[in-house]
Amino acid sequence: MSLPGNRTRVLCKFFAHGACLKGEHCEFSHDWKDPANNVCTFYQKGACVYGSRCRYDHVKVSVSPRQASGSSSAYPYQYAVSESVSATAVPGVTAELSASSRSYISPAQSAWGEGSGDNDLLDDVVGQSRSTNPSDIAMCSFAAAGNCPRGENCPHVHGDLCPTCRKQCLHPFRPDEREEHKRNCEKKHKHLEALKHSQEIECSVCLERVLSKLTAAERKFGLLSECDHPFCISCIRNWRSSSPTSGMDVNSALRSCPICRKLSYFVIPSVIWYATKEEKQEIVDSYKAKLRSIDCRHFDFGNGTCPFGTSCFYKHAYRDGRLEEVVLRHLGAEDGQTVIAKDIRLSDFLSRMRIR
Amino acid sequence: MVDFGRVQKELQECNRDINVSGISVNPKRDNLINLIGTIPGPVGTPYEGGTFKIDIDLPDAYPFEPPRMKFATKVWHPNISSQSGAICLDILKDQWSPALTLKTALLSIQALLSAPEPDDPQDAVVAQQYLKDYQVFASTARYWTESFAKTSSLGVEEKVQKLVEMGFPESLVRSTLEVVGGDENLALEKLCSG
Repeated sequence: MSLPGNRTRVLCKFFAHGACLKGEHCEFSHDWKDPANNVCTFYQKGACVYGSRCRYDHVKVSVSPRQASGSSSAYPYQYAVSESVSATAVPGVTAELSASSRSYISPAQSAWGEGSGDNDLLDDVVGQSRSTNPSDIAMCSFAAAGNCPRGENCPHVHGDLCPTCRKQCLHPFRPDEREEHKRNCEKKHKHLEALKHSQEIECSVCLERVLSKLTAAERKFGLLSECDHPFCISCIRNWRSSSPTSGMDVNSALRSCPICRKLSYFVIPSVIWYATKEEKQEIVDSYKAKLRSIDCRHFDFGNGTCPFGTSCFYKHAYRDGRLEEVVLRHLGAEDGQTVIAKDIRLSDFLSRMRIR
Repeated sequence: MVDFGRVQKELQECNRDINVSGISVNPKRDNLINLIGTIPGPVGTPYEGGTFKIDIDLPDAYPFEPPRMKFATKVWHPNISSQSGAICLDILKDQWSPALTLKTALLSIQALLSAPEPDDPQDAVVAQQYLKDYQVFASTARYWTESFAKTSSLGVEEKVQKLVEMGFPESLVRSTLEVVGGDENLALEKLCSG
């Protein structure tokens, strides 16, 4: 736009407020004598939501060549039109065509292009054209925050009260948005409630409130799959990984719940404690889904073998994205039942062989 | 590293309802690793009326390893060594769980006093006696409770006088009493044995 040393003679908006971060290098003028550019850009495009209350000037400005060519992103509709034209046109004439289409479209779409200089009348026109589709009217952010000083006279839509967050933030004419807000709001609310409830829960091993522990990493529950006794993740993992003392059975002692001694095969980390069975299932499912997206270290894209085999929670995929195929070999046992055969490897036989 | 936060909480918790359970745990010295627990002898058993002291040592990995407990008070019981005070109880060994506390362990020991298991003995002599001649076992247990587990109501001076009257020199009585920790029965035993 402007070359160094050749500043545009327009007062910098930020400088006017005493807060231009660019200082010397600002491309706008830092000289109070220069006029400020106080033209409303939205008005130029056709519609300014603020109407007569806009702090910027609603005057029509003749489109300078710089603006016309420089800011195509500000005219999205022109772009679309010129593209549709160019799709049917011979490639060679595209540039020329798009240039002409731009000059043809923009005045027609502009509010001031209708030939009226009266601001109030303009506002009415704009307001009417907008009110034909009420879902286009923006929602009043003051009302959503709790109190709109303009009350009845507010030009924006005052949203309906959301039953969950008790704010006027449901747009009366946008059903999709309403539903989405309600859904999110309820979800958030539920999570908060659960979190509040979880604050009270103590770990049965360290006897401390799990969510009040010293480090952030420790402020997590370790859910056991088979029972509902609360522990913090560090305590339960510590216990399950502690080395068994003599005579101790790993399954009946370490892998079981320290309180009810029910055997659980895995521990699920969670920041909240659940209240219902469904909530627990949800936590377990999302945890498993997360693990399934992580490649298994043991499987190592098919280069290694995973001791957990088909029951591994992690992803068993080859480098080309192919998933491991699970082929179970069924063997007929003598009593007529079938058993699933384990993998048989040549190395198993070799290791047992004795060379004399 | 012992979880001192938990130990501290356990001590507070346990000593809060001491009037109900009668069970207390206190530090032996100025640390939280060597503790001393006391349990009352269960009512309706030969141990009734006695107060039993139990030495508690916390291992480094506590509460992920069981506390080491043994009777400091001599006790006549099939599952407790009459010599060393060692306790044969599964939850202090392979059935330990970190959800158990010092108090629950002491409660289990108290339950063990009222329900001996002679088939899985710690002290074979006591177990034999328990199985063969329960009456003799009960009277021996009662005598041991009387002798070792009851805090004498007598003051130090009275104990000294009693022993002096038996014909021991006063200075020897005082030093012996000091050695055995003020227990007049133990002192008498020591004085008699020479």
